[in-house]
Amino acid sequence: MAGSLGYGLLRVPLQVQDSLPKIVEAGRSPGVWASFTSEIGTTDFRPLWMAETKLLFDLSGGHVHVAYKAFHIALLVAALCLFVTALRIESGVDLAASLFALNVFVGSNTFVGLVKEATPVNVYLPIVGLVLLAMLLSRGRGGVWIDLAAVLTFVAACLTLESGVLVWVALVAGRLAGRRGVSDRALISVTILMVVYVVGRLTLLPLDTQNASGYLAERLEPEQIRERFGAGLSRFTIYTVYASISSVLFSEPRDGTFVILRGWQHGDIPPRMWINIVSSTLTTVLIAITAWRWSREGSANTDGDRAAIRGDFLIFGALLAASAVSSFAYAKDVIMSTAGACYAIVAFWAVRDHLIRARRVGPALVTTIVLLAASSLWAVRVVGVHHVMRTQAFAFHNDWAGMRDYLPDDPAAHRLVSSLRADALSRPVVNPWFVPRWADRVFDIDY
Amino acid sequence: MARLTTLPAVCAGIPPLAAVAFCGAVFGAAVFGYTPTFWQGGPLTLAEAAALRDQAEVARLIEAGADPNIEYALRPDVLAVSRATPLEAAVLARRPEIVQLLMREGAAVDEPGWHHLHCIAADIGEDDVIEAIDAYRPSTVAVASCTR
Repeated sequence: MAGSLGYGLLRVPLQVQDSLPKIVEAGRSPGVWASFTSEIGTTDFRPLWMAETKLLFDLSGGHVHVAYKAFHIALLVAALCLFVTALRIESGVDLAASLFALNVFVGSNTFVGLVKEATPVNVYLPIVGLVLLAMLLSRGRGGVWIDLAAVLTFVAACLTLESGVLVWVALVAGRLAGRRGVSDRALISVTILMVVYVVGRLTLLPLDTQNASGYLAERLEPEQIRERFGAGLSRFTIYTVYASISSVLFSEPRDGTFVILRGWQHGDIPPRMWINIVSSTLTTVLIAITAWRWSREGSANTDGDRAAIRGDFLIFGALLAASAVSSFAYAKDVIMSTAGACYAIVAFWAVRDHLIRARRVGPALVTTIVLLAASSLWAVRVVGVHHVMRTQAFAFHNDWAGMRDYLPDDPAAHRLVSSLRADALSRPVVNPWFVPRWADRVFDIDY
Repeated sequence: MARLTTLPAVCAGIPPLAAVAFCGAVFGAAVFGYTPTFWQGGPLTLAEAAALRDQAEVARLIEAGADPNIEYALRPDVLAVSRATPLEAAVLARRPEIVQLLMREGAAVDEPGWHHLHCIAADIGEDDVIEAIDAYRPSTVAVASCTR
């Protein structure tokens, strides 16, 4: 799965709008440390990400596309490996549940952004990987190295993106669930660092949080949002938080916009919308039933399962809430990608639990039908991720065409952009004319 | 009572396994040097690229030496005509951005050529396309008149 997604990533040209300025900046920067420090005092404050961009640029030896894509693929492979490691696979039932969960992870709308966007390296993917790593660390047997790894994981995550604080959320939630892999001392250290980071981020660094976002069936620009809802906490903020949660649990709205409502207004709801909603709703119902059963009577299996299920459900709830709150200013599916990964982990437990409990013919038949429907729809969504990349490749390819009129003035940047353009144009992409018409209706698209 | 896990487990696992197999096929083809079917398109003529809003392919073909001022064959279903110049194809496909790109990349129109394109655009009735063509009106043309 990682191989095919990685191949897709290689086929997608580098992005022009968000990515090219960063690459040009990396080319101009005198060094990795200079790139790192250049982010201090900025609205974004992603120093590690800028340093990575510069380091990869320097290591590329002119093969910029390959260098950035290789790193993106490495992050993807790491995230998928960590995800699979987070599942407990010991039997045939576990294997079936893990295959289901893997499809939920990759097919989810929150995952698409991890392979669709690259500026020039996806900035959310490291966070997903680091949060999964933090979950695994808290499950460990403890020790100085585990503690050190936990602290470094948090630091790396926060210096990459604001969503890095989710590492702290995962560690604390794990501890509340009784996991003692990360010691109290390390947890206190991470908490102090988190407070320092949050205070520094909110007080010392400028914030520019308002982006375009969806609202019911509309897409609103920042000015429209301010004009209609005012600044600060508003109806829009509350809507965005709930919309973010709903996008993980039900695949709607997408980036804040209820695309199914928009489809209904236009008199055309393509099958892909039903596929997304039905697969997610069935899975969420399975998860909800498992959570309800667990809260009433415990797991169907052993005490070890009980602790693991409890921990993963608690972490999922905490990450879902924290991710949703952190996207209060604007809804974007990829911001919820960490919660999406944990959603897939609890889906694993839910499917496993339902399979283990299938002891009578009637309920077993119902379980069979529900699982067949859900897993089939998730499988379609996994193929759909490749379709999104194929579509994205065409769009990014086209963006390079007009770049000849916007080449930078300074000779080095001019040469760099010219060579990137030539490289991008030489990469074959699939014109949508060659793609069957039904594909855009069945597979997901870029909203 | 015996657990009835086999059938639901198979139903939970087989479709995801099929998705994994799809991924494996894509990756396997790539590893062995083939373009996976899913990622296969096909070569386009310059006129086809213009009609199919393939700006990058238009730029690439012209920079590779394709002449933007001659007629090219078009596959059936691309447009209602079987041959067209890239500019005609862009106008017929209602693509003002491709008209602009072709002009920047070296397409040229003389007086009769511009008149012909203007009339196609007027016939289609798309304002953006008419504007795009009119922006390149030769200075010798005062007024365009199209008769059906």
